Amino acid sequence: MLLELQRQMLAGLIGETPGAIGAALADGVNPDRIGIYRNTVLHGLTRSLRLVFPTVELLVGADFFAAMAAAYATSCLPRAARLDCYGDGVADFLDAFEPAATVPYLGDVARLDWAVNNALHAPDVAPLDPARLTQAADWQDRIRLRPHPALTLLTSRYPVDDIWRAVLARDDAAMAGIDLAAGPVFLLIERQGEEVAVSRMDIAAWQFLSVLCSGQPLLAVLGRADGPDAAVMLADHFAAGRFADFSVARCERQNDRECD
Amino acid sequence: MIQADRNHGASIPARAGIGLRFQHHQAVLDGQADVPWMEVHTENYMGGGRAIRCLETIRGDVPISLHGVGLSLGSAEGIDPAHLRRIKDVAERIEPGLMSEHIAWSSVAGSYVPDLLPLPMTEEALEVVCRHVDQTQTFLNRRILVENPSTYIRFRYSTISEWEFMVAVARRTGCGILCDVNNIFVSASNHGWDCSQYLAALPPELVEEIHLAGHASRTMPDGTKLRIDDHASAVSDEVWQLYRQALARFGPVPTLIEWDNEVPALETLLGEARHAARLIDDMQERRPKADAA
Repeated sequence: MLLELQRQMLAGLIGETPGAIGAALADGVNPDRIGIYRNTVLHGLTRSLRLVFPTVELLVGADFFAAMAAAYATSCLPRAARLDCYGDGVADFLDAFEPAATVPYLGDVARLDWAVNNALHAPDVAPLDPARLTQAADWQDRIRLRPHPALTLLTSRYPVDDIWRAVLARDDAAMAGIDLAAGPVFLLIERQGEEVAVSRMDIAAWQFLSVLCSGQPLLAVLGRADGPDAAVMLADHFAAGRFADFSVARCERQNDRECD
Repeated sequence: MIQADRNHGASIPARAGIGLRFQHHQAVLDGQADVPWMEVHTENYMGGGRAIRCLETIRGDVPISLHGVGLSLGSAEGIDPAHLRRIKDVAERIEPGLMSEHIAWSSVAGSYVPDLLPLPMTEEALEVVCRHVDQTQTFLNRRILVENPSTYIRFRYSTISEWEFMVAVARRTGCGILCDVNNIFVSASNHGWDCSQYLAALPPELVEEIHLAGHASRTMPDGTKLRIDDHASAVSDEVWQLYRQALARFGPVPTLIEWDNEVPALETLLGEARHAARLIDDMQERRPKADAA
């Protein structure tokens, strides 16, 4: 009976009327009181989305954001009690959100906000000491690197990094000077010390790091890369702490089976 | 049942502390908060990065209590083991003096909602909560405190009073009670209960922490007046009065000022804490005379 009551309560919270939960209330308790809980839930979810997507909110305004957040929240509730990790579907939601269609880069700005939020809140994991790779010297061809959890690689056809900086700085002149047709950007978002860094990379360097982070065997990635730059770039990535760990595949043909 | 170990929380003194919120991190790091202890919401420190490192630094000077808002002890479907693991991870880094959660639920059917939703006061709900308190205390290998809720509705199936429910959870699991005096006032106002009867039902030896906070009053469309536990203002005069009664019954207990919305300047919070501290002092001055009499 408790489970049924909790399911009814949840339906009453995300619906516009209390519904079935109204019949479970004691005599004299007006079902409108469910609205107090509904307001608290919606307010809490909107507030958490606002903290995760500050650039999106500044771009569209508080009222529009609140309406968008309510639409998102009622269709996609958090799956866990960690609101700083809530909103992984907002960027895709915005891509399909008809009222936001006039701001074509909004979804990608949300992706950047999400990546920055991830860099802020990702677990503290010590960077991989490349000397540890020598432990796996016998299996060098099977080593796969794991990116640091605070790191995100993002690409957009719009200069979302410039938009992000201008909007958060409330710099209208910089915003007005942005050329949306300037071509795609390739971004690295990571934690440096306690700060979050958003950096633009050239396409080749971005693709190289993307492949390294995708879990492909390290030697194969280096073998496909052109020239000595790959080794230098790899050393830079290690020095910047962009990998957290590595794994050694059991077998070339069973890429999904790994052992540490 | 986990064995009672009252010393586990010894580092939280029976004095007045404040709820630490992000807005005040820097001021606290700068030494502007002379308080004997602080409490944070565990869920705000589950990631890495700056927030938890700030808290670790503050923890070096001030005892910290971890107050959870997301474990959902009353969920019929069980508590989330991943969330319990995250709570333990924070506890291992912060080494809190006290840990607490709520008599409420927040999760069902794979969804979490950010509110402390009311339980029907039934034997089934009591068994569910006790099972989850046992599970939590076993996993954390320590006692927790459970807080009485503020509620706006009652269910027709309820067969147990809320105060009996609280005491039963503590008796069956060995956990302690976090007596939120504002919640008692809010719920009693909303449901026509007697605050004094509620306090009188709580055995002093079970009450190990008190919460104080502000609430709002609202007139509903049907004309009824409701108190809303919004933690957005100063503690009301009625709640201070009830706090005096609570101190008289429970003795000196670690007392926390909570202010979560429209968070004021740190000095305002500290002023509320000083007021609570004065009431604790007043009670301790009177208490020996009362005992002698």
